[in-house]
Amino acid sequence: MLETVELSKSFKGKTVVDNVNLYLERGESVGLLGPNGAGKSTTISMISSLLVPSQGDVRLYGKSIVKNPQEIRKVLGVVPQDIALYEELSAYENLVFFGRIYRLSKTTLEHKIQEVLEIVGLRDRQKELIKTYSGGMKRRINIAAALLHNPQIVIMDEPTVGIDPQSRNHILETVKLLNREKGTTVLYTSHYMEEVEQLCNRMYIMDHGKVIASGTKEELGRILSSEDTILLQLDGYNEAVLASIRAIESVRQVEETVQGLKLIVTKQSRVLSAIVQCAECHGVQVNNVHVQTPSLEDVFLHLTGRTLRD
Amino acid sequence: MVPVFLAQWMKEKRSPYLVLIFCILSIVATLLFGSSTGMKIKVDAFPGEGLTAVEVEQWLDRLNEGGSFDFTLRSEEKALSDVKQGRSDMAVKLLKDDYRVISVMEGGNANWVQQHLQVIYTEQLKINAVAQHTNDAAQFRDSMKVYLEQPPLTLQSSKPTGEELQSYNMGLQMLFGFTLFLVMFTVGFKVNAVTAERVSGIWNRVILSPVTKTEMYFGHLTYSTLIGIFQITIIFVLFKYLLGYDLGVNFGLLFVISMLYIVSIVAMSMLFTGMFKTPEQFRAFFSSVVPIMPPLSGVYMPPGTITSEILLFIGQLFPIKHAMDALIGVSMYQQGWDDIYLPLAKLLLMTVIFFGVGINLVERRNG
Repeated sequence: MLETVELSKSFKGKTVVDNVNLYLERGESVGLLGPNGAGKSTTISMISSLLVPSQGDVRLYGKSIVKNPQEIRKVLGVVPQDIALYEELSAYENLVFFGRIYRLSKTTLEHKIQEVLEIVGLRDRQKELIKTYSGGMKRRINIAAALLHNPQIVIMDEPTVGIDPQSRNHILETVKLLNREKGTTVLYTSHYMEEVEQLCNRMYIMDHGKVIASGTKEELGRILSSEDTILLQLDGYNEAVLASIRAIESVRQVEETVQGLKLIVTKQSRVLSAIVQCAECHGVQVNNVHVQTPSLEDVFLHLTGRTLRD
Repeated sequence: MVPVFLAQWMKEKRSPYLVLIFCILSIVATLLFGSSTGMKIKVDAFPGEGLTAVEVEQWLDRLNEGGSFDFTLRSEEKALSDVKQGRSDMAVKLLKDDYRVISVMEGGNANWVQQHLQVIYTEQLKINAVAQHTNDAAQFRDSMKVYLEQPPLTLQSSKPTGEELQSYNMGLQMLFGFTLFLVMFTVGFKVNAVTAERVSGIWNRVILSPVTKTEMYFGHLTYSTLIGIFQITIIFVLFKYLLGYDLGVNFGLLFVISMLYIVSIVAMSMLFTGMFKTPEQFRAFFSSVVPIMPPLSGVYMPPGTITSEILLFIGQLFPIKHAMDALIGVSMYQQGWDDIYLPLAKLLLMTVIFFGVGINLVERRNG
């Protein structure tokens, strides 16, 4: 349905999106993952025709939309990362405005406004001013405004940033409803791995402007199929301990977390005893050891050497 | 275009305070500064050595003849005390054939008073000198009095229409000045909505809809223009019909000038919009730059006060200068299209340049 072909964008000589190839099938929910500055928003801006690519193409049903953006604009609903609403107006008045710019007739508009308000769960508060809403409620209206014209494709740019858990759950449920019940194609960008795992059939992982991995959750998990994650809680440690652990042959990666040390190690090796020995050599007591199968977060760490929220 | 226009109107209905505040400020400022411009300059005078009460009275009569000054007799002690304590700018000591101006600083009204005293004293002393050389001084003074009251040559001034020539109406100039000045803020802050919507993301959302960019600009700029015209019209109507200001006979022409001026201010604001990334930057710049435009254009001063070639040139760069010239021409001197086409053409030229550069800058920033 929608694809990008070697899509690139440079600003003042600096490449922020570099040869990105991705595709969306009709009715799919696809995640675009990456830390801040990975190039997700720029990619989305090019797909939605707000930015002209420096190189490459965006195709809708095989036709380029770079020179004819009206084609994609007709079928596209974009939920921007920022709250793109008039704060001084009520939710209802905002939706009237966004409906009018899509030239919906008066009766259709009224019907659609009530429908999208129902979807985002704010029908009973539609007359209140946006500036009196909580951050989560604003984000829900931000989504509602993108749904008024029945778009075939909805692009959501980090729609859950900085909101309360209740609103976040509501937004995730809304995305599921749109995709699974209404058949809307969704491109969902986030740096919350668990959201993408929960919502999307497939995902693309971006870093430094490039797609570094793509596939289903299972396919991506296989990248680390030969590895395990060990969570290690020590009774205090220093650089010497870390250096010794890193020096163990089977240890691929060591990351310091709030809970302790997170190690990615080669599977089925006798690494545990080596780690414990290493700790004892430095007089450090091992309080807890937890071995787990790698998550997508670990995949990202493995691919980029940093976490999604870095 | 209509949805964009209506959205601005809906916002205005929710919060109409900006327009109301600037309307009220225009009225208050005009009444405050416009009414004070026709007042006489008050000067305290006290008699010096060797001057009789009759002579003091005669000098005061002569000095007050022009109508621009109000010389009042006071005791020397009180007059000097007021000057010392800053309650009055100056005092004048009247002598038999001379005077002294006592002032804590030079310039301002003191220069005007000094000039006036010089003229009156020189004239009177010339008469005194001639009278001393005549055989009958009393008869000479009588005949001089008759000559002055019934001069052999009289000069009569009138308007081209034959009506009585009126003195320059500074109050009207102040009305135009403050109205045009304050409406710049209303219009500028409305045009700033373009930047605010660009920053918030609303602009991009509208771009993705069937509404074209031209329609978006038209929606915003038409709204800003109409709100500016509304403000000017309210103030002019109020002053003409409620406060009895004489705005001349050609109210329609005043409306056209005002409309063209507002469009040029919208264009100027668009230029500034293209120069800044955020609405806050725009507001800071606009609030700092706009207040210096009227003084540089001589809006608050009587005509001819600014003589510096550089300042006169700078004044030409601001729309307010040309709008003021046209408004004063039409209202005070009954000028028509033929007389004011030049300032209007300059306004039009500025509008085209400002819009062209401004929209270009905005689009580049978006690109």
